[in-house]
Amino acid sequence: MRPSVNRPPTPDARLDREKEPSVLEIINIKLIESGEKERLMELLRERLIECGWKDEMKALCRAFVKKKGRNNVTVDDLVHVIMPKGRASIPDSVKAELLQRIRTFLVSAAV
Amino acid sequence: MSSKINHHRINGQIPQPCPHLAEYRTRNGSKPFRALQECLRVKPLGRAAIRRDPSEVPRCGACGEAARSRLYACVTCAAVSCHSSDSPSPSHAAAHAVSMPPGHEIAVDVDRAELFCCACRDQVYDRDFDAAVVVAQTTASTLGGGSIRSSPPPENLRKRRRVDYRPWTPDLRERVLMTRNSSPLQRTEGADGANLSNLPWGLRGLNNLGNTCFMNSVLQALLHTPPLRNYFLSDRHNRYYCQQKNNASNASKRNAASNDSNSNKNLRLCLACDMDAMFSAVFSGDRTPYSPAKFLYSWWQHAANLASYEQQDAHEFFISMLDGIHEKMGKDKRKTQSQGNGECCIAHRVFSGILRSDVMCMACGFTSTTYDPCVDISLDLEPNQGVSTKMGSTKSHHSCNGEADSMNSSQNCGTSTLMGCLDRFTRPERLGSDQKFFCQQCQVRQESLKQMSIRKLPLVSCFHIKRFEHSSIRNMSRKVDRYLQFPFSLDMAPYLSSSILRSRFGNRIFSFDGDEPDASNELSSEFELFAVVTHTGKLDAGHYVTYLRLSNQWYKCDDAWITQVNENIVRAAQGYMMFYVQKMLYYKASEKPTPS
Ligand SMILES: [Zn+2]
Ligand SMILES: [Zn+2]
Ligand SMILES: [Zn+2]
Ligand SMILES: [Zn+2]
Ligand SMILES: [Zn+2]
Ligand SMILES: [Zn+2]
Repeated sequence: MRPSVNRPPTPDARLDREKEPSVLEIINIKLIESGEKERLMELLRERLIECGWKDEMKALCRAFVKKKGRNNVTVDDLVHVIMPKGRASIPDSVKAELLQRIRTFLVSAAV
Repeated sequence: MSSKINHHRINGQIPQPCPHLAEYRTRNGSKPFRALQECLRVKPLGRAAIRRDPSEVPRCGACGEAARSRLYACVTCAAVSCHSSDSPSPSHAAAHAVSMPPGHEIAVDVDRAELFCCACRDQVYDRDFDAAVVVAQTTASTLGGGSIRSSPPPENLRKRRRVDYRPWTPDLRERVLMTRNSSPLQRTEGADGANLSNLPWGLRGLNNLGNTCFMNSVLQALLHTPPLRNYFLSDRHNRYYCQQKNNASNASKRNAASNDSNSNKNLRLCLACDMDAMFSAVFSGDRTPYSPAKFLYSWWQHAANLASYEQQDAHEFFISMLDGIHEKMGKDKRKTQSQGNGECCIAHRVFSGILRSDVMCMACGFTSTTYDPCVDISLDLEPNQGVSTKMGSTKSHHSCNGEADSMNSSQNCGTSTLMGCLDRFTRPERLGSDQKFFCQQCQVRQESLKQMSIRKLPLVSCFHIKRFEHSSIRNMSRKVDRYLQFPFSLDMAPYLSSSILRSRFGNRIFSFDGDEPDASNELSSEFELFAVVTHTGKLDAGHYVTYLRLSNQWYKCDDAWITQVNENIVRAAQGYMMFYVQKMLYYKASEKPTPS
């Protein structure tokens, strides 16, 4: 029997907090085991390319490397510099789509 | 300042190992990553990961973190530690490198299978390791199971390549030549009367000279190939001048060897001169159908083996006539360069690209690379639908001129597409065990993977769809009538050598990295469709028709008859040869010509 997808679960506040690592962890494991995590990652990659986010980050990285000189930059430096901007500039629509996918997954996986 | 010289070839530069990686390598002999290789897993969508056993959920040994941070496995002791770039205190991965005796600095990202030095806090690259990952990934993708390949993502900031094309302005001598040999253009009405004069300049029917639609269809495409048209219309190959020169050189030859009268005729034969005459006639303003009899005769002389009154293959004609132009003009210019480098005859300057073929040893990852010039790309129609194993991103990354886009992606399943053919063309294929190749590194014959990609794009890309299958065993041919969808705009970036491997395998160095072309070689990979040669009917009793796009309007050229058609008719047509021109040239070409 397939659970109804029309009735999304009530938003689980615990999901967004770090207070309940066990639930997060269970979800993470379920996502990995089912292969859904891989599909979500692929979807995310695709969306971030489509909306120009990747190009934007690439431009930021290029500018930073140019400023510092290409032999004086490590991957850690780059991640450190673009992380705040990168996190902030992911479109809400992409977040919403991913969230919806995860919810649907949770319902169908009956976690 | 002199130290900057190396930096001109950034794309060709191979990253040097950090001291920690170098030391790790010296300590661990010839196969430093053997243990790691056994943990290489290829995930369902084709990406590589590191797992000791397939169902392992890796977590940080220090804090138990499994989802939030990047996780690295130490290549020396396999301890998994978390790492994030923005924590002020050293991460568990960095702490691991410090707390252990030297040799625990190098770690591998468990989800990306890429190497990282925890002491340098930087990505590091190792040829052997990367080769092992590439072999594992290609093997997994070609051996049943998860044989899935998502199409490579488009990259807007990708490397661009330039094909050498220089605009031409006549010098003094050439200007004199032009005025002396020119006559003013006049516009006369065609047989159908007034409405024909609204047709774009140079659109003129070609009379069928007896089963010659194979020739007419290709000639129509060539007559409206923007860089070719510009070349001839700007008098770069003047037939009077060329013949004069030939007569002069003939005379000297005659003195040298007066016994061979046949060679005189061959020397005077010049397909480019006939093209020049045809361009003059077609762009003269006269709208009555033109008879390319002189051209046909010259081509017969050139391709004696193909000459007959029977129906011919349009693609064979295309190849043989480019050959013909090359033969004559190549000799003239005494160019010794290979045809792919943009310095050859006009035929090759316009149509020639360079294909790259990589054959990779499946035992050690050693790759042998060859480059071949090509004037077109012949594509197999995809095998019957329904067995398609393609998953992942089914969304098309190619736009079909805006409004058709949605229709395009919804039809994507079940319909063969040109992009699908190109995907297959550039997909790694496992060579059969009967064609093992000799690996220079292993020093024995090994199983191998072959992958094609495009090293250099031509100005004009001609795609030939293999609709005629020939079986030499039964000496029988048959035609494949399956429909193939082709886009009006095509981005070739995903099929370039530079994108193909990197988009599939992540940040790695390959054994061929040293000879990548330098970054100055860049131009647009975006192409526009401007001509489609179609074939209808049976193998031997068929008919060729060409659709041309001029000033953003489609025209059907059916021998002597030219009609304006709706673009949906073109989309529905059974494409046999598709001609695409680099977008920037197309936009220049589609501007309305100003007669005056
Ligand atoms: Zn290091
Ligand atoms: Zn940790
Ligand atoms: Zn260690
Ligand atoms: Zn000539
Ligand atoms: Zn040539
Ligand atoms: Zn080998």
